[in-house]
Amino acid sequence: MPELTYREAVRDALSRAMREDEDVFIMGEDIAEMGGSMGVTQGMLDEFGPERVRNTPISEIAIVGTGIGAAMQGMRPVVEIMYQDFLTLSMEQLVNQAAKHRTMSGGQLKVPLTIRTQGGAGWSPGAQHAQQVEAWFVHVPGLKVAYPSTPEDVRGLLWTAIYDDNPVVFFEHRLLYPLKAEVPDELEPIPFGKARVMREGSDVTVVAIGRMVPESLQAAKQAEEEGISVEVIDPRTLLPLDEETILTSVRKTNRCVTAHEAVTRGGFGAELTAVIQHGAFDYLDAPIERVGAKFAPLAFAPALEQWAVPHAADVLAAIKRTVAKG
Amino acid sequence: MATEVKLPRLGQGMESGTIVKWLKGEGEPVKKREPLYELDTDKVTQEVEAEADGVLLKIVVDSGEVEVGRTIAFIGSEGEDVPEAGGNGAAPAAEKTETAETKDADEDETEGAAAPEMEDERERGRQAAAATAEAEPVAAAPAREDGRVKASPLARRLAREKGIDLGQLRGSGPEGRIVAEDVETYTPEPEAAPAAAVARGEVEEIALTSTRKTIARRLTEAWQAPVFQLTVSADMTRALDLRERLVARLAEGETKPTVSDLLTKVCAAALVRHPAVNAHFTGEGIRRFPYAHVGIAVAAPNGLVVPVIRDADRSTIAEIAAARAEVVGRARDGKLQRADLEDGTFTISNLGMFGVEQFIAVLNPPQAAILAVGATEPKPVVLDGSVEVRPMTVLTLTCDHRAIDGADGAEFLRTVRELLEEPALAL
Repeated sequence: MPELTYREAVRDALSRAMREDEDVFIMGEDIAEMGGSMGVTQGMLDEFGPERVRNTPISEIAIVGTGIGAAMQGMRPVVEIMYQDFLTLSMEQLVNQAAKHRTMSGGQLKVPLTIRTQGGAGWSPGAQHAQQVEAWFVHVPGLKVAYPSTPEDVRGLLWTAIYDDNPVVFFEHRLLYPLKAEVPDELEPIPFGKARVMREGSDVTVVAIGRMVPESLQAAKQAEEEGISVEVIDPRTLLPLDEETILTSVRKTNRCVTAHEAVTRGGFGAELTAVIQHGAFDYLDAPIERVGAKFAPLAFAPALEQWAVPHAADVLAAIKRTVAKG
Repeated sequence: MATEVKLPRLGQGMESGTIVKWLKGEGEPVKKREPLYELDTDKVTQEVEAEADGVLLKIVVDSGEVEVGRTIAFIGSEGEDVPEAGGNGAAPAAEKTETAETKDADEDETEGAAAPEMEDERERGRQAAAATAEAEPVAAAPAREDGRVKASPLARRLAREKGIDLGQLRGSGPEGRIVAEDVETYTPEPEAAPAAAVARGEVEEIALTSTRKTIARRLTEAWQAPVFQLTVSADMTRALDLRERLVARLAEGETKPTVSDLLTKVCAAALVRHPAVNAHFTGEGIRRFPYAHVGIAVAAPNGLVVPVIRDADRSTIAEIAAARAEVVGRARDGKLQRADLEDGTFTISNLGMFGVEQFIAVLNPPQAAILAVGATEPKPVVLDGSVEVRPMTVLTLTCDHRAIDGADGAEFLRTVRELLEEPALAL
């Protein structure tokens, strides 16, 4: 099995789809010659040419709007929003157009658009380049939301996103790009709404997304040294959500921690907590703990930035609170 | 270099101790041999002294149970950095990611390129975050507020399924919350006698004597019987008068008759007139007797015994008194023969001498009835429309309903009363 970085896995999915399917093309700021601000699309211009690897003006509303138009005309565009913070500029197109056309047209129109974006703290990008906004889109009917955490998952899910007939907001994390892991030779599409149990355990379930998946696995390892057996689940897609896998796990472990890098308040952990308390109420032996960033615009100052966002230690502390005595 | 304060092993077999409280706060100067904190072990609570001079830089474990050898604080010079206790925290995870990041940097010529330069500063932030995470308090508060029991949903469900009252449990979770484990490990304890809490002297354990065992067995047996009680009051004026006259005529060496003896005679006379009450219930049948062997309940030193006055119906009061004195004397000396206790057809239990006004006696199987006699006391009674004070006794008959019907018992009791009120009729 070949080893790919998360970044290469994204590129692999895009390239394979474009090789096989004329309808797939990519579009975004500086994605052509420069290969994208994170280097994800490096080399793709050479292979696919400027018709299918298109630089855009600096206008997120135009990028998404163009994508919607192309998608409704039968293409399968993948547009890149350089930082997820800039999704705010495309909200009208995403929320009021992309998410609505299929139902408003009674199914006559489809919007098979994939909006790739990335972000996250850890390298001092500052308050306007480091947010995690996945929860905003989980609130919008008509959208789908994916947030993979491993090379294999990002490749398989991106493929599924491209071939989904609905608009998909596809989140990648800046710090996950260099993460390297084995992936199968063949690209296996991964269905949406299917969580992955990253690690089995019996005492506490940690439901983590994005960067907090590897952090939670680290915390689980430390917890194990202290005799606490932790199960780690990555839902992989937040919308649709695989409630059954999560509930089955919590019914087994009776305790749960949710973890994401986005601020805790109103974060996806709140939705998870609601689903779990309802579906596993009689199985809970401790309050569900939520791990997330502190409620503040992220500082540029490296020490402050790291202090604000969660790490494995925060997950471990939350795990311990769920099994705490006295 | 700061000195780690580790939990000492204060005695053989000590595996852990519970820090009760710190006697010094963070930042306070500490002298060697000065009391630093209070430690509770399974044996005692004691103050533990500092092992170094300096400033108490950091308290790692504020309170609670700690294993022997674990770092609980740091003492050092003022302003000195504290090394990370035990080396567990977020740092390793984050470092790993960053190492990978640096390796990958040549692919990263654009926006992220400047990132690794500030790694030291970022590391400080991660450590600060880790410290906050660790320090998040799990406060211990009273288990109950407003009488509501704190329990996890799972614990509630388990308790419901097992029929356990959560109010009986002590919660081991945060804030005294009852968690599933508490329900699973709960075994109901028999309620401790309240006396044990304020023990003033030793609790006496009394092994059952064979007499006591017999009493226990027979009374438990008797308790199973379906019984009913009937109560009457008898005017004892004439019975007492008769007794006084008998006492007045007493010859030398003869036993003084008591009210009890009179009762024995009267009951015996009534029993032969009402054979339904003078009976045994054997399980297979009812056995009625043509004679009255009257048992009298006696409080002997080893417990209740019921010696029998045989043929009381055919005995004079003097004879009954003599037989009674003899058998009760032997009962008090513990010298009763087996024959003394056998063949009773009826029993009288008299607690009048203790001032008991009335009570209910427990059946003495296989006998079908027993009479409980209260104290004879002056009481106002209505006679011919006017209130007079008379010496009255309350008699309560307990009947085994399997052998006796209400009317049989009532008729017997009416006869007893008539005979007490007019003893001549017993002749």
